This record gives sequence, structure tokens and C-alpha cells, in this order.
Amino acid sequence: MILLMPLLIALLGAFGVLGFRNPRVATRAALLIGGLEITSLVVIVWQVHERGALQVGRYLRVDGLSSFFLINIAFISGLVLVYASGYLRHIGERRFSSPRWFYALVFLFLFTMISVCLSANLGLLWIMMEGTTLASALLVGFYNTEGAVEAGWKYLMVCTVGIAFALFGTIVLYLAAVKAGMNPVAALDWVSLMDAAPRMGFDPHLVKLAFVFVIVGYGTKIGFVPMHSWLPDAHAEAPTPISALLSAVLLNCAMYAVMRYDAIVSRAAGPVFPHTLLLIFGVMSMVVAGLLILVQRNLKRLMAYSSVEHMGIIAIGLGLGGPLGLFGALLHTFNHSVAKSLLFFSAGNVRHNFGTLRMDKISGMARTMPQTSAALVVGGLAIVGLPPFSLFTSEFAILSGAFTQAHYFVATVFLITLSVVFGGFAYHFLRLLTGEPSRTPVSSKLIPSEYSVMGIAALCLIIFGTRIPHLFSVLVQEAMAVLR
Amino acid sequence: MKVAINVLQALALILGAPLVRGVVARFKAFLQRRQGASIWRPYSDLAKLFRKEDLVPPTASGVFRVVPFVLFGTTICVAAFVPLVQPSALLASGGDFFLFVYLLAMGRFFLSLGGFDGGSAFGGMGASREALVSSLAEAPFLLSLVAVAILASHADIAGMVAWTLQQNIFNISAVHILAFTSLAMVVIAETGRMPVDNPTTHLELTMIHEGMVLEYSGPSLAWIEWASAVKLHAMLALLVALFVPWGMASSVSVGAIGLALLLYCAKATLLMVLLAVIESGMAKLRMYLVPDFLGVASAVSALAVIFTTLVKR
Amino acid sequence: MGLVEIATGKVLSSFSVFLFLTILLLVVARRISTSVLLFSVQSAIIAAEVFATGFRERLAEAYVVGALILVIKVVAIPRAFFSLVHHLKTSHDVNASTTPTQSVFIAATMIYLAYAAVHSYGQSVHVPEDALAAAVALILTGAFLMVSRNKALMQMLGLLVLENGIFLAALTTTFGMPLVIEIGVFFDILIGLLLMGIFTFRIRDTFDHLDVSKLRRLRG
Repeated sequence: MILLMPLLIALLGAFGVLGFRNPRVATRAALLIGGLEITSLVVIVWQVHERGALQVGRYLRVDGLSSFFLINIAFISGLVLVYASGYLRHIGERRFSSPRWFYALVFLFLFTMISVCLSANLGLLWIMMEGTTLASALLVGFYNTEGAVEAGWKYLMVCTVGIAFALFGTIVLYLAAVKAGMNPVAALDWVSLMDAAPRMGFDPHLVKLAFVFVIVGYGTKIGFVPMHSWLPDAHAEAPTPISALLSAVLLNCAMYAVMRYDAIVSRAAGPVFPHTLLLIFGVMSMVVAGLLILVQRNLKRLMAYSSVEHMGIIAIGLGLGGPLGLFGALLHTFNHSVAKSLLFFSAGNVRHNFGTLRMDKISGMARTMPQTSAALVVGGLAIVGLPPFSLFTSEFAILSGAFTQAHYFVATVFLITLSVVFGGFAYHFLRLLTGEPSRTPVSSKLIPSEYSVMGIAALCLIIFGTRIPHLFSVLVQEAMAVLR
Repeated sequence: MKVAINVLQALALILGAPLVRGVVARFKAFLQRRQGASIWRPYSDLAKLFRKEDLVPPTASGVFRVVPFVLFGTTICVAAFVPLVQPSALLASGGDFFLFVYLLAMGRFFLSLGGFDGGSAFGGMGASREALVSSLAEAPFLLSLVAVAILASHADIAGMVAWTLQQNIFNISAVHILAFTSLAMVVIAETGRMPVDNPTTHLELTMIHEGMVLEYSGPSLAWIEWASAVKLHAMLALLVALFVPWGMASSVSVGAIGLALLLYCAKATLLMVLLAVIESGMAKLRMYLVPDFLGVASAVSALAVIFTTLVKR
Repeated sequence: MGLVEIATGKVLSSFSVFLFLTILLLVVARRISTSVLLFSVQSAIIAAEVFATGFRERLAEAYVVGALILVIKVVAIPRAFFSLVHHLKTSHDVNASTTPTQSVFIAATMIYLAYAAVHSYGQSVHVPEDALAAAVALILTGAFLMVSRNKALMQMLGLLVLENGIFLAALTTTFGMPLVIEIGVFFDILIGLLLMGIFTFRIRDTFDHLDVSKLRRLRG
């Protein structure tokens, strides 16, 4: 029963918030609904931690892995909703572009993402994954400028095609399961598939084919190179809270889907094939994104490419497997989302004050906007993986995993790319922060909604970087146990 | 007995050709809500032309005078290849579909020469356009016949028809559908029908076939018009025989032959209606789009040939 | 009853030929309305296939899915497209980047590739080769339409053809997925099309044209 709560709250909240025409009332209602949502998610996570996996009917299920991603959703959506309440003062009342529509779409978006994490059935997973694309398309094109419309169209097209390929992969897996003798009704259920996986291994070709299509399809949503073309546009042109949601939560949900499939395919046809594919995509994404970071001119596009790079890191961790690799990958999903949110929030403030995101037009921030600059510095140091911030821990775990498994090539590429990215970020940020101030900012101080979330994020990065809280570590271990 | 039937088949093709023209024109008139001329009009046209005087341009050479006879001769040879009511034809053992295609090509070649030889500008223009269309139409023509021939393991048309007769009518064959599409497009191009060429145009700049025969008159024009009518009839009969030959007489008896004749008339009428609909429904393509039209025909026929490998596997 | 049996058998064995014909005609079509009509015919053929499969395998679900296809893909979506074209006040030309001849040759190559791919997998899965090859060819054609047609509406149509191909692949190999999933997939497609329709209006309003090849502001 409690599984249905977050879904119902999100869905009803989406329609409910449409009724409030006054932006301030709508915002307060949204914050209230958001609070309820997060509470219900935390309750679920707690229940799973206490009692193990829960299932409702045939289609909804929560286990350790789902609850880990639910924490991610809950935390980031909380930060985003608070930030958005202040950010939306820029948006007026136009058809389809007012605060109430914004919040309605955000709650629909959350509904689909939570459903992805709560699906027990791979078919429902697919339907909700497509739902995330549909729910966020209007959010990406929210500003209705030329760039936003183009980005929204590209996002819609590329992701729908990608997800269509994932559908094909799902069908092939279904076919393999049915051929191996499974009951057709249960052949899309993840738990039943995990049980029957060894039987499917007698004819590994179909299972491998399924995985290829799934990783290409869901990999489009994750942003693997070469399917990443929509990502920089969508993340750059969307409103800042939405960019944060896309980068920090949606990419993780897509990765969650790939993890589920990887578990089945590894058990059925052996881990070598899927993990090799993951390593290939991960390394490609890291390298290409790392190189493209050097030549970026738009601040949010820079961060978008950084997301691609970090998804590559997570894929490498997943592809390495083993306790270290898997631990690092799961931890990194969380750490990256926190750091990326911090960066996007700062970028939002930069945009509001300077009117542009072109990095060559911005300089001297350290003097004119000290608080935002501090946030940028913290976010930048964190995102390139320096201690004492949390990304260092997860990346170090993945790197250790690479060395223990003697994947020296992967480890070398990993380190080189990290250095390149560090150089790129340092170059870009130094140009932003130092030098003559390009113009006086509109308001150099941050409003409470902004600095509170940025402070929480920065704090989280530091705390997790020095010592992972024991409870959190236990949750990660439970998530890993599901995938064995 | 069979030989007599074959001779009668060829005669029917030749003598019934103007009727085919008349029927198509009448259908078109009906679709365009006109009264239209009688279906026997082409016969009276031919009779009128035979009575008239033959005028030859002063600059023309001997080629000009020879062209009508060569054209008519090759076309009636072609007509003798096509089975009508039974799966054999007068010249069936004389040659295969290559000869069929290239006899028609020879006739067309001489007609083009005559167009040039007449000395008028429109003759030359029509002849050069005809050269373009026929060179592009040759590939799909041959390829579609090749596709059917590969399946039938026969190279002569009568053999192909006999093979098709033995197949089950309900097993729709991809190769045949593709070959039929391609061959239908070629028929439209070869016989100068819309949308490739307008057979009723008076505007010289839109002529292909009409341009080439502009200088002819009297009996020469009659032979040429008759030859083009026989060409249309022969190609329609080819379409019927290659793709829907069921109903042809397997034994030489009056009843069977009569039934086969009736069925042939029905199928030919259907094809004529289809031709009239296409002619009335599509605008004439501009000259630079005709290569596209024939390119599509070529690709479809190439696909038909490729499909034969998939079917024979 | 015998007649229905025969009809079912003939539909199942020969429908792929007609699908290939619709593919070839789709790639040479010069107007949006022609392409939409061809898509409608294609969906009707697939619906017939679904009904025939349901009759042969005695699956009640197949009739529901077939009815859904008829209502949504054969009637509703084409009508929505026609009204979109009318309201957008755009030209009817398809804005193809390849000539018809090139398109047909590419389509022929794709059909051949489809057969080649299916042949290598045909041994492990006992399905009629024609049907699966038609499905793969539809997928490839949908992708080709999306890439080579520069109008936003044609990209949507290419996506629909792609989904048709995936659905047909599911149908021929596993006789469809569980009914709930199928309905969910339909629902997704509908909402997706609705959103794309909204976006085409926005593109037209902000850019004053519907040519997606000119949407190149965001690069790098």
C-alpha cells in the first residue's frame, strides 16, 4: 500500500497544482506536495531497510536497488523544488509557461521517474521510461525561445527513437524467456527472469542481442556517446531546476534500467559480454565528453558534457563489476547528482545576473558575486574529483576496481581523462572568476531558497567525502546485494 | 491445328489493336465526363489515311520512306510472340524475350531516324526525347522479364506463360508483383502514354511520339499509327499473359478456346480501364522528372531480380 | 468457416509482399498526404495480420490489439495528421533530401539487408522469414524516413513506421506481448504524437518554417 503513496501524491499533486492560478499559492502548494512526496519516499526506503523487498500486485516492487535510487530522487527533487520556488520569479503568466504548469509538469515527471524505480515488470519499466521523455519534453522547451524549441524537438525525437530500440530489446528478451520455457505472463517480471536466467543461457544469442538493443536504447537516455546528441542541447536550454532534475535524476533512472538488464544478462549469458559493452560505452563517453569539455563556450553545456563524462564513469564502474566497481558506481550516481545540482544552481544565478551563459562574456565573478563564486568553486572542485569531496571516494573505488581486475588500459584512460577534465574546468572557471568584472550584477546576494539548497548540497559533498555515513553505506550494500 | 490458332492469335492482336486504342480513348472520355468518339473510330481513321496522298519532305532521304514499313514489320513480328488464348505463339520457338525487347527497340530506332530525317525541328526534338526515354526504359523492361524468366526457368515468352499457368493462383509471389509494377511503368513509357507522353497533345513542345511522326501523311502515317496501336495491344497482352494467364486453353477445342478468348477480353478490358484511370488521374511529368519515374521502375525491377534469389533458396 | 481458414492462411503467407510495396511507395512519395495514406494502409495490413494470427492461435487478446490498431493507427492518427497539415498551413511537399531513384535503391538495399539479417537468425527462431524480414525492413525504412525527410511532420511519420516495424517483429516472433503492455505502448505512442504535434506548432511559430534541417543553432 505504501508503494502507491508516492505515485498517487505525485499524480494528484500534478493535477491539483494546476488549479491554483496565483503563482505564490501554487508555489506553496507545490512545496507542500513535494514535502509529502519526499516523506513517503523516505518511509518506503525505511521499510525496505527494515523488512526487505516489498511487492504490490504484479507490477510494483521495491528492493534494495530501487530504494537506493528513490533516495536519490527524494533528495534531489527536494533541493530542486526549493530552488525552483525562488527561481520561478522570472517566469510570467503565459499559456503553458506559468508556475502552475511548471510544477504540474515537474510532478508528472517525478511520477514517471518514481514509477521507473518501482517497476517490477520490464514492460512497465519501458512504458514509464518513455513517459519520462514525454513528461520532460515540454519542460525542456519551457522558455519557448528558438534554442529551447529546437532542443525540445531534438530531445523528443532522439530519445523516442532510442527508447523504441529499447522496446525491441525488451521484446527480444521476452522472446528468449518464452523460448526457454517461461510462462508468458511472468516472462517480463524481473524477479522471475532472474530465477530463470540460467535456463535462458542455453541459447545466449538472443539474450545478447537483447542486451545490445537495450544498451543502445536506454543508453540514448543515459547519454552514452554516440547517442548523446540531445543531451547538451536539452540540459543547456532547459530552465535551471529542470537541468538539475535531468542531469541528476533522469540519467540515473536510465542507468538503473540498464543495471536491471545487466543483472539478467550476466546471469544468463555470462558477465563478459554485457560488461565489455558497458566498458566500451563508458570509455567512449568519458573520452569524447572530456575532450569536448575543453572547447565549450556555454556554461550549462559545459556542465551537460560533464554529466556525459560522469555517466561514462558510472558505466565503467558497472562494467568492471566486482565489489569495488559496483560500490563505486552506485555511490557515484548519488555523489554526481549532488555535485551537478550544486553546479546548475550556481549557473542559474549566473544567468540571472549576467543575462547570458556565454563564458567569454562573463568575468570577475569572484569580486562581484562572492557567494555564487564560492558555490561554483566548491562544485567545480567536487566535479573534477578532488578530495575532500565525495566524488573522489567513488572515483577512487572505481579506479581501485580497475587495478584489481588488471584493466590497466581502462584505468589509464580514466586517469588521463580526469586530468584533461580538471584542466578544462580550471581554465573555464578561472576565466569566469578572475579578471575585470564584465558588468555589475543585478543582485549579488543569494536569496534564502537558493543559498540554503546550495549550502546543503555543498555540505553533503563534504560530509560524504570525509566519511560516508554508516546508514548510507549499508543502503549501498543492500543495493549491491540485489544485483548479485 | 495449334499453328492455325497461333496465326489467328497474331491476327487478332494486329487487327484488334485499333479497337484497343478506341476503347481506352472512350474510357478516358467517360472519366473526363465527355461524350467521346466511337470505339471504332481508329478504324475509320486508318481507312481515311490509306485513301489520302503520301507527301514526303523534299529534304528527306530513303530512310524516311522505309521507316513506316520497318516499324510495322517489327511490330507485327513482336505481336507474333505473345500468347493470347493458349500458351504458345506463332514465333514462340523463334526467339526469347531478348528478341522481343530488341525488335521493339529496332522499330523505335527507325522511327527516331525518321523523325530526324523529316527535317523539321519538332521531329528532331521528339526523336532526341524518345532516345532518352527508351534508353532509360530498356533496363527495367529487360530486368522485369529476366526476373520472371529466372523463376520460370524458360527464356521464351510462351514457356514463361506455360510455367505461370501451372502455379497456384493464390500463392502471391513477391517477384511477380514487383515485376508487374515495373513492367506496367515501362509499358506506359514505351507506348507514349500519360504521364510520360501525351498521345492526344497538339502542343509541339510536349510531344515525344507525336513529334516524330509530324511529317508523315497518308498511308505512311497509317502504317505508323497502326504499328503503335499494335505495340500497345501486344504489351497489354504480354502483361496479361505473363502475370494473369489462368483461363488459357490447354486443349484445342472450340469451347476451351472460346472461354479463353472471353477471359482474355475481360482481363484486357480491366487493364484498359486501369490505363485510362492512370492517364486521367496523373498530370504529364515534366521532362526532367521522367528519368526519376523510370529510375523507380529500374529499382523495382532490380529488386524483383534480387527477390528471385530469395525465393529459389 | 473453411473460407475464413483459407483467407487467414493467405493473409499470413502473403502480407509481407504488400508491406514491401508500401515501403517502396513510401520512400518515393512526394506529398505528406500520400505518405500518411500509405502509413494508414500499412497499419491496416498489420491489423489484418493480427486478426489472422488471433484466429489461427485462438488468442482473444489479439482481437483487442487488432481493434486498437484499426482505431488508432488506421483512422485516428492519419486524421490527426491531415488536420495538422491543414492547421499548420504548410506546404504539402515532403522536402526529401534524396531523389526518388536514390530512395528506391536505398529501400531495395534495406529490404535485402533485412532478409540477410533475418536469415542468419532464422535458424534459432522458427518464424516465417518473410514476416520478420518485413518487420526489420519497416524499422530500417522508418529510420531512413526520419533521416532523409526534412519536414518535422515526416520525422513523426518515420517514427510511426519504425514503431510499426517493432510491433510487427513482436507479433511474428512471440504473438505479441501481454495485453497490458501493448495497451501501455499504444498509450505512450499517442501521447508522444500529441507532444510532437504541440512542438511542431511551436517550431512553426518560432521559426516560421517546418524544415528541421535548418534547426542548427545549437552545435558543438
